[in-house]
Amino acid sequence: MKLNRRYTRSIRANLAFYISASVLTMVTLLLFYLFYIAGTGINAYGDSFFETYRVEDANFATYQQIGDEEIRALEERYGVTLEKERFANVDDGAYHERVFRPNEKIDLYQVQEGRDLSADDEVLLSAGYAEENGVKPGDKIQIHGKQYTVAGTFLRPDYLYLLENLTDDYKNVSTFFLAYMTPEEFDAQFGDGTVNYKVIYGADTDQEDFRLAINDAYYMASYLPAQANTRITFVHEQADMFLLMAWVMLVVMPFITVALISILIGRKIRSEQKLIGTLSALGYEKGKLMRHYSLFAAIPGIVGGVLTAAAALALAEPFGRFGLADYEPMRPAFSLPLWVAVAGILIPTLIYWGCAMLRVRRLLKKDTVQLLGGQVGNDGKNHRILVKSSMKVRQKYALRTLAANPGRSFVIFLGIFLGAMIVAFAFSFIDSVKAVGDQAHGEFGTFRYEYILNSLQQEAPERGEEMTVLAYEDDNAVRFSLMGLDPDATLWNLQTTDGQRADLEKGYYISTLAAAMYDLKAGDTFTFRNIATLESYSVTVSGVIKNGYQSYLLSSRENVAEITGLDAKAYNAVLTDEALDIDSDLVTEVITSDTYHNQMENLLKSMGAVIYALMVIGVIICIASLYATVNMMLSENSHNISMLKVLGYDNRRINAMVIRANHLLLIPGIVLGIAAAYGIMVWYCREFVEVERIMIPATLRTGSVLLTAAITAACYFLSLLLLRRKVDQTDMIQALKDNRE
Amino acid sequence: MFIEIQNAKKRYGTGEAAVYALDGVDFSLERGKVCVILGPSGSGKSTLLNMIGGLDSLDEGEITVDGERITGLSPKALTAYRKRNIGFVFQFYNLIPDLTVEENVQVVEEIAQAPLDTGEILRALDLEKYRYRFPRELSGGQQQRVAIARAMVKNPKLLLCDELTGALDTRSSRSVLTFVEKINRQYGTTTLIITHNEAIAGIADTVVRIRDGKIASCEENGVKRSADEIEL
Repeated sequence: MKLNRRYTRSIRANLAFYISASVLTMVTLLLFYLFYIAGTGINAYGDSFFETYRVEDANFATYQQIGDEEIRALEERYGVTLEKERFANVDDGAYHERVFRPNEKIDLYQVQEGRDLSADDEVLLSAGYAEENGVKPGDKIQIHGKQYTVAGTFLRPDYLYLLENLTDDYKNVSTFFLAYMTPEEFDAQFGDGTVNYKVIYGADTDQEDFRLAINDAYYMASYLPAQANTRITFVHEQADMFLLMAWVMLVVMPFITVALISILIGRKIRSEQKLIGTLSALGYEKGKLMRHYSLFAAIPGIVGGVLTAAAALALAEPFGRFGLADYEPMRPAFSLPLWVAVAGILIPTLIYWGCAMLRVRRLLKKDTVQLLGGQVGNDGKNHRILVKSSMKVRQKYALRTLAANPGRSFVIFLGIFLGAMIVAFAFSFIDSVKAVGDQAHGEFGTFRYEYILNSLQQEAPERGEEMTVLAYEDDNAVRFSLMGLDPDATLWNLQTTDGQRADLEKGYYISTLAAAMYDLKAGDTFTFRNIATLESYSVTVSGVIKNGYQSYLLSSRENVAEITGLDAKAYNAVLTDEALDIDSDLVTEVITSDTYHNQMENLLKSMGAVIYALMVIGVIICIASLYATVNMMLSENSHNISMLKVLGYDNRRINAMVIRANHLLLIPGIVLGIAAAYGIMVWYCREFVEVERIMIPATLRTGSVLLTAAITAACYFLSLLLLRRKVDQTDMIQALKDNRE
Repeated sequence: MFIEIQNAKKRYGTGEAAVYALDGVDFSLERGKVCVILGPSGSGKSTLLNMIGGLDSLDEGEITVDGERITGLSPKALTAYRKRNIGFVFQFYNLIPDLTVEENVQVVEEIAQAPLDTGEILRALDLEKYRYRFPRELSGGQQQRVAIARAMVKNPKLLLCDELTGALDTRSSRSVLTFVEKINRQYGTTTLIITHNEAIAGIADTVVRIRDGKIASCEENGVKRSADEIEL
């Protein structure tokens, strides 16, 4: 069809539209691709690593050791793989480490750099610490007071997310590491060390039978299934967060952008109605014209989709690396699945194509004479607003054109809204994470130190308040802390969400996080079980205490003792407002008021690049969409602009009259964009509870609101500035001729 | 002379495709006169009007209006020149569709240095009762009167009319021409009308014929008639 020769000419003539539409398509798809690639890459790597290096299904400790023969018997009887793991926690001053004797069946290690152990004076170090501290194979390191040569670095499946303690929320690779020694050297240095058991269940294993048997024979001290082990679950959970982000992006961003571009395409086609009418009058069939124009419209989809797929392939690796910041230095292969790339090209292309088809079809239903006269779409009633007002004409013009062109106004509004939304979402993410650091300890209480002890104590501590903390689980093995405090405790937050002080003697209280995780409220019955004996208990929830960071059930120590069967005077945690001089061998963990703050700072540090990238993308979307829409508006107004020029209006006045009308859309666009971003953040935080088991308070601080408004306004004015020359370049004579035609 | 044009040349296109829209035009007009420029399509009459109105610039030659040499003026200076001196009326009115009749006139009043009163102009053109209507709510003749009112409100020294009756029926054309005459009489505005309608030449003081970018003839109209008397 000769008509198709118009393609290159028309693209050249409308280059600004095609570039901005392609950029918009590209940027929004890129956001989805990158999060998707990171999420699927990490998941695939996790699955493969877990299988190859035989990740545990659970680990447990017993009060009585299980002998090697008994292990073989248990394996046979229950169809499980069972292994005794030996390790030692060592403090070497500037750093502390967990030294393992290598396992043979479960949680095996993969040497990352260097080579495996070949001599007793060699050690392997966890790769994250080595990388963070610049430790290389061949370097010397002191462990337990003795010098060793670093033979290499390693990863192991139950420490891909390297939490020192399971209660930590963020890794510590700066002062803590894992190490392996030869079995002989470990035995020589630590003897038996601390013993733990790892199990992989067979397909037919009755896990509860197995656990009960272990408890009956060896007295289960603790039991941690893999699905409650954050060092293991975080691998998939973090990846799932990326996927969640990807789907949020897919639903919100491309949907809105595609809608925006579709509107632009529709208006562009309407502006060609004289030509469409002429071609129709010349005998071109409806189908031919629809195909011709739909191909024009498909261009941004094809160009944007192909370029995005290429960019995503190029950026997959570096972006994926951002996503790995939380983990040990894993090496997943990040790639864009072919079907996702094809869908990314096809979906927007088909939408733009379909939109153009419909638009041309609708136009061709109109009278050809009307099309030839360019009257379709111009036959709407004038908005009679301010007709008798004494307001300045240029102000009336501005208001009336906004009202008379709701589609166009909406598109411009959408550009501002989108930009504000993305930028505000990025700020809100930062604010919300910071809020955890700032608020978390306040929700715990007024203590400054919480010492978690590794054994039960009977004698009252020198200072502070005693607390019992024991892990229990619900029927789905989702864990929480059963905590006992003296009813007159002062250092723990005991204020319920309805403002009352919790009466620990008479009731059981849950934290807001536990309430969200188990879907409980005051008055509900909470059924849970002992993780060792699997014995079930039920209590009525008396109230909820605001604490979005810990999942607990709290009562008096006496009440808790009735459930645990421990002595009511026994405790394994101490709350104080000043540091205690406790034997470090007794302490498992110390939580201070800075703990959460530091962990969240680290989280922000690692997520920072992704968040700031999101912000930059928001700015690009804002500028590109506004450029495209204001450009469209100027094209549609070219006749009025040229007429104002003819009448003696200078460019400054014309800009004021035609472009500044849109300033009115700036404030609602920003306000609603920020509100939408906050809404998405609220939803995201709610999803976060299920994935990360922490209640991040959706927060958007005043400074961030102001900054979002400033950035969006700057983008808006920048795009207007870029378009100023368009007013300068409007050819008066051509526009007058066009009107004559 | 109010308008003086010397050896005006304007070429469009390049090489073999080059066409001279104006090819050495010399022309002058006294203040307060009505001049009708006649010529077929493509003769260069609209180009000449655009040059005089400061919408386009010559390749060669010189144009002086009321002693001001407009050849070589910057776009900014040309804008100021149009704002001060020129009132335009076009064949297809070129009104701003989102503004009412009154506002279409006020849009010029707001930037003019010594504007006439909008109400007075609307009354003079018999448009007062349509002041709150939008252009699409008016007939072609009424719209053209609004265009004249818009051109006149700045009290221009020169009124340039490009095929002002080209889109109108006979009755409307006569009515519009009557108002142009009235404006010329009432305000003494020098008026330049380009048209291919020979009959309109009857209302002119000077009749210029233009063909292939050159002045074919320039004559004083011996028997000037009113718009009511001419055969449209």
